[in-house]
Parts: sequence; C-alpha cells; structure tokens
Amino acid sequence: MDLRKFILAALAILLGSACAPRAITEPAAYVDLSNVQPLPTLANQGIAPLRVAIAAVTSLQGTVEGYAPLLEYLSQELGRPVERIQRRTYSEINELLRSGEVDLAFVCTSSYLIGREQFGLELLVAPQVNNKVSYQANVIVRADSNYYTMEDLRGRVFAFTDPTSFTGRVYPTYLLLQMGETPQTFFRATFFVYSHDDAIHTVANGLADAASVDSLVLDFALAREPDLAGKIRVIHVSDEFGMPPVVVSPGTRPQLKAALRDVLLRMHLSLQGQVALKTLGYDRFVLVSDEAYHSARAVMALVNAAGELESP
Amino acid sequence: MLAFWKKLLSKIWEVAGSVPIRTKILGIVLGGTILLSASVIYQLWQAVTRTMQQELEARGISIARDLAARAVDPLLLNDMYSLHQLILDTQHNNPDVVYAFIQAPDGQVLVHSFEGGFPTGLMESNTVQANEHHHTVLLRTNEGLVWDVAVPIFEGKAGVARTGISTQRAEKIFLSITTQVLLTTLVVFAISLPAAAFLTFILTRPILELVEATRAVTQGDFTRRVRRWAEDEIGDLADAFNAMIAELSRMDELRREREQLRRQLLEKVIATQEDERRRIARELHDSTSQNLTSLIVGLKTLETTCDDPRIHHQASELRAVASQTLGEVHEISMRLRPRLLDDLGLSAALERQVDEWHARHRIPVDLMIHTHDNRLPEEVETAVFRIIQESLTNIARYAEAHSVSILVERRGNAIVAVIEDDGRGFDVDLVKKDRHLGLIGMQERAELLGGTLVIESAPGKGTSIYLSIPLTGGP
Repeated sequence: MDLRKFILAALAILLGSACAPRAITEPAAYVDLSNVQPLPTLANQGIAPLRVAIAAVTSLQGTVEGYAPLLEYLSQELGRPVERIQRRTYSEINELLRSGEVDLAFVCTSSYLIGREQFGLELLVAPQVNNKVSYQANVIVRADSNYYTMEDLRGRVFAFTDPTSFTGRVYPTYLLLQMGETPQTFFRATFFVYSHDDAIHTVANGLADAASVDSLVLDFALAREPDLAGKIRVIHVSDEFGMPPVVVSPGTRPQLKAALRDVLLRMHLSLQGQVALKTLGYDRFVLVSDEAYHSARAVMALVNAAGELESP
Repeated sequence: MLAFWKKLLSKIWEVAGSVPIRTKILGIVLGGTILLSASVIYQLWQAVTRTMQQELEARGISIARDLAARAVDPLLLNDMYSLHQLILDTQHNNPDVVYAFIQAPDGQVLVHSFEGGFPTGLMESNTVQANEHHHTVLLRTNEGLVWDVAVPIFEGKAGVARTGISTQRAEKIFLSITTQVLLTTLVVFAISLPAAAFLTFILTRPILELVEATRAVTQGDFTRRVRRWAEDEIGDLADAFNAMIAELSRMDELRREREQLRRQLLEKVIATQEDERRRIARELHDSTSQNLTSLIVGLKTLETTCDDPRIHHQASELRAVASQTLGEVHEISMRLRPRLLDDLGLSAALERQVDEWHARHRIPVDLMIHTHDNRLPEEVETAVFRIIQESLTNIARYAEAHSVSILVERRGNAIVAVIEDDGRGFDVDLVKKDRHLGLIGMQERAELLGGTLVIESAPGKGTSIYLSIPLTGGP
C-alpha cells in the first residue's frame, strides 16, 4: 500500500513537472515581413525651420541637452520651428555656414576667426559668463600625476579636442611654439577627441596625460561632476581671449539677423530665457565687437604661420 | 467519467490479457522506449524553447541597446549614411537579426534594413516609452517567430532602435536535438528489439513446452517430462510439473491395475455364471427332461394297459402334469442358456427368444439380423444375446411399448445392435444414478469386450439402445 502510494506520488510529480505551465511566450501579432510598402516621404513641415548649428564644444548628447531650452525659447520667440544641426567637427559647421545651410551657429572662437577670414562670417552676439565676455584655455593633467609645468609634459600623450579648436588645439600648439617645439617633436603622441568634456574625461581616465580645454566647459563640468575635481589638476591657465560667439551665415537675411540678435539680447529678461541661459551656464547674451578677438587672432596667426594648423 | 475510465481500464485489461506473452514483452519494451523518448523530447522542447526564448530575447535586447547607443551620434549629426551603415552592420554581424530599423521620435522610420519598402504593421507592432530600458514583443512572421526589441535612443530624444531576432536558428537546434533523440531511440529500438525477442523466446519456450507436455499428459502419455531451462520461477514450475506427472503416472498405473483386476473378476463371474447356467440347462435338458419323458411314456403305457377307469383317469392327469412340468423345465433351461445359442448361433437363438417373448407379451417385434450367417466369437454372441434379452425384459416390465424393433448387423470390424421401442421412455441420468443393476450389467458386458453401449431416452420419447462391440479376431 505504501509502495503504491509512493509510486502514485512519483508519477504525479513527473507528470506535473512535464505539464506545468512554464513561461513560454506566445506571439502577440502576425507581421508579414515580405509584404513591404514604400515608406511615405518625410512630411514637409509647412514653415521653414530656423536652422541652428551648434559646434561640438561639448559632446553631441551634452549639446542636445544643454541647448534644448535655448532652442525652445528661440522657437517660441520667433514663432517658427527650430532645427538643431550638429556636426562632429568645427570645420563641417563652417562649411554649412559658408554655403548658407544654417542660419545661426554657436561656434568656437577659432571657427569665427577662420570663417570671417575665409567667407565673411558675421558676429551676432556672445554669451556673457560670470560677467565676462572672455574665456581662457586650461591645460589639465591627472590630479595624481607629477606634471606641474608644460615642460613636464615632454614625451607624454596629449589629447586635442577639435582640429580647429582654439583652446583645444591652437593655444597648446602656440605654447609649444613659444618653447621652440611643435606637438610632433614635444609629445610622444597626440589624438583628437572632438569635444572638451570628452577631453576632460580622457585625462581623468588616464587615456591621455594632458589636454587643453575651454575654461567655461571645465568650470561647467566641475560644477556638474564634483568628482572630477579630485581627478584632474590645472597646470596652466592662458590669458583671456574673446568668448566663443554666436554667428550668422553671410547669407542670412538682415531682418532675420536683427530679429535673432534682438531675441538673444532680450533673453535674460524673460523667465523662460533665464532658465535657458542658466542651463548653459550663461548670464546673458551681449553684443561684442570683432576687436575682442584680436588677441586670439594673433595667436592663431602665429600658429598658422608655423604651418601647424594644416594637418589636423 | 469514472465509468469511462473503468471501461477503458477493462478494455486495456482485455487487450493486454488476450495477446500472447511475446507481444506483451515486446509491448513493454517498445512502449517503454517510445514513452521515454516522447517524454524526453517533450521535456527538451520545453527546456530548449524556454531557454532559447530567454536567450534570444536577451541577445535581442543587447543588440538593440548596442544599436541604440551607437545610433545616437549619427542621429544627432543627421548622418543617415552612417546610420544606414550601422543598421547593415548590425544585421551583418548578427545572423539572427532579421531586420533592424531606426524610428524618429515622432515614429517615422528613418533607416531600415528592408529592401524595396517597409513591412506594413511592423512599425506599430511594438512601442517603447522613453523611460523604459527596452520593450520586447514576440511576433509571428512569415520567417518564423521573431523577437521584436524596441530601445529608446538617447532617452527617446533621438528616436527608437528596433531589431528583430529570429528564433529559426533556435528551432533548428531544437530540431537537430530532436532528430538526435529520435535516432537514439531508433538505435535503442534496434538493440532492444532483438534483445526483447530473445528474452521472450527464453521466457516462452519453457511455457510452450509445458503446454505441449500438458496436452500429451491429457492424452495419457505419462512418459513426458519437461526440461528445466533456467534456475528461475519457470524452472521451479517445470520441476513441480514433472513431479505432478510422476504422481499422476503412479496413480494411473494403480488405477489400471485395479481396473484390470476388476475386469478379470467380472469376466470370471460372468463366465462362471454362463457356465453354471449352461451346466444347469444341460442337466435339466439331458437328465430331468429324459426322466420326465420316461415318466410320461410310463404313464401312457399305464393308461393304455389299465382298464380301471379311476386309474386311467388318474394316470391321464399325472401325464398332463408331467407334460406341463416338462414344458416348464424346457422353458427354464431355455431361459438359463438356450442351447440354440451354443448349437446354432446368435441369430437362431435371438429368433427363438423373440418368438417366445412375442408369444408371451403380445407386442410386435421387428427383428433384423445381418451377420452374414457366420458364427461370432462365443463371448460376443453371449453378450449381444444377454443385452438384447435384458432389454426385452425391461421393455416388458416398464416400457408399455406398442412395438419394438431390433437390428443386429455387422459393420466393418464390429457388431452393432440397435434396440428401439416406442414406450414411455425414462430419464437416463436419473436411472443411472439409481444404479439400476440391469442397465449397469448391460454396460459392463459391453465394456468388458471393449465395446460401447449408449442409451438414448427421455420421458414420452421411447428408448433407443446402441450397442457396438469390436471383433478383434478374424470373421
């Protein structure tokens, strides 16, 4: 009797384990993958959007997040959609400006200098940060390294940001030229990381021994990631240079140009504008003259003369 | 419900019970193997399907997330060429990826891996919220089951990456495992079938032999012995069977001896009886009858020579008494053992017997005898005569018959007699149980000579007696 019970129980367990419902998912819908239809062409937005290019001073994703409120503000103020246009390099943005494919652009100081010289790129406004309309180049190293001067970086690995970046490439090259060196002779190796926050992280992670970055970006990054402060150390701070400006394509209509300037200059007067400015770490937008960029232009000319900007 | 199961069980029992052991054992082996492999395949199917689904889903999620991560920059840069290249690379590097495409935040398909267009219904088949890690949906497609994975790109700001992971490779793996299990099953079959057949042979051989031996024993062959094939239960059965045959054989021997003895005794009794009857009959005929005849002659002489009417009359009366006594002595002698039987044979004796019986009882008798007028062995003639005599006595005593027919004939190497009457009949079994000596005597006489006697009768149906006695010697 006991044996029979045992056998029955064993059978029940066996059958139970075989028949118990398990998580085998049942298909939700049927789709015939061979039944293909041409996709509709992208819907044409009735009003032509304002095309705004943003140079990759920070990473592409950081740029999207940082400029989203500003672009939203512009769209509302101008009453038309705004199309965000990003490119990996500064020179690609300059090409878009030259050909008139963008109306407005946030560019690097060197991009403005090159664009103005090459195709008459026009200065619109510049952001004012901490009551200044100028910025500096900061040479950074890892906090735990024993590099304290530029000379200590000899034979090390240096990370450039963009090939035409003023603080990221032009200025450190200028420093080396002052020392009678070039990046090729002085450093063991150099490479481009294309954005300033990536350059900071590259140094912090030890992938490069040093990099030269935009002081605005560095301050902003340190404010956002307090951990970074313990990881990097600044060994050189440059003189003040003209702030990376907001520019318009030479082909931009004067009315639009005026409207844009007006909107940007009034930005700090509205609550929404203030929020957008704060997101970017700006106080406000102000008018600047080309003279503010003379010091940078001099540095650039020197580096150009040495033939150091030709090969990115 | 319970009745159904009971019925099913009894049906199974009936089928299982009616097939030979050979089939049962093969059934156990084949059934067991089939059941085992079926359950193994089922379990495998469950396990493989489950694991493969999870595995594929996980792979799909990983591929889609990778695609989503790598699509951010091309999307932000509006670099459709790189984006398309990324889609193609994703599909190229992952053979299980059936399709991949990127949707803009507004749901529009920006790039995809299909040629000539985009499948209807695919876009809407899966959606993912911006804050979700991923969202998977299992789709049934013309290319089999496909896991569709949707992953938001750059928290949904840049769009959604979608990939379809085919389960076909998983199904192929399952198919190949199943094929292997089936092949293994076949191999096991191929091995176990001859093994089972051999086992069955070993198991059934002694049983079949036992059956054969039992049949032989039933037919009286006690010399049969079965072999002990193996040291198991069937071997024990064979031993027990052999012991039983030995015992049966001994008992049979004993019975035979006793039967022999009884027969001999009976034969002797009957022979002695017949001899005694014959002797008395002869005595009565030769001595008593002669004396009575002399007495009659003397009384006749006395009658004629004496003139005294008183003596004359008395002598005449005495002569009449003597004549009657002589008749009675004749009859007694005749009944004891008709001389005709010894002197002229069965037919004459029977004819005489029947005549006398008819004269006495006034019942018509139809007697037919076909014995080719040959004398038969004495014991056969005596037996047939006595059986017919007993039958006639019974008919006269009980049957209340209106007619009787008697047929005696030689059929091949046997003498056959049929005695029929149209009397009231009787229940044969009942009368036999009462150990009616007359009937038993008839039977015994027939059987002593190796013959048979069959009585057929029923109340109101008359009676038929069939007698057959073989003639062992020549004619």
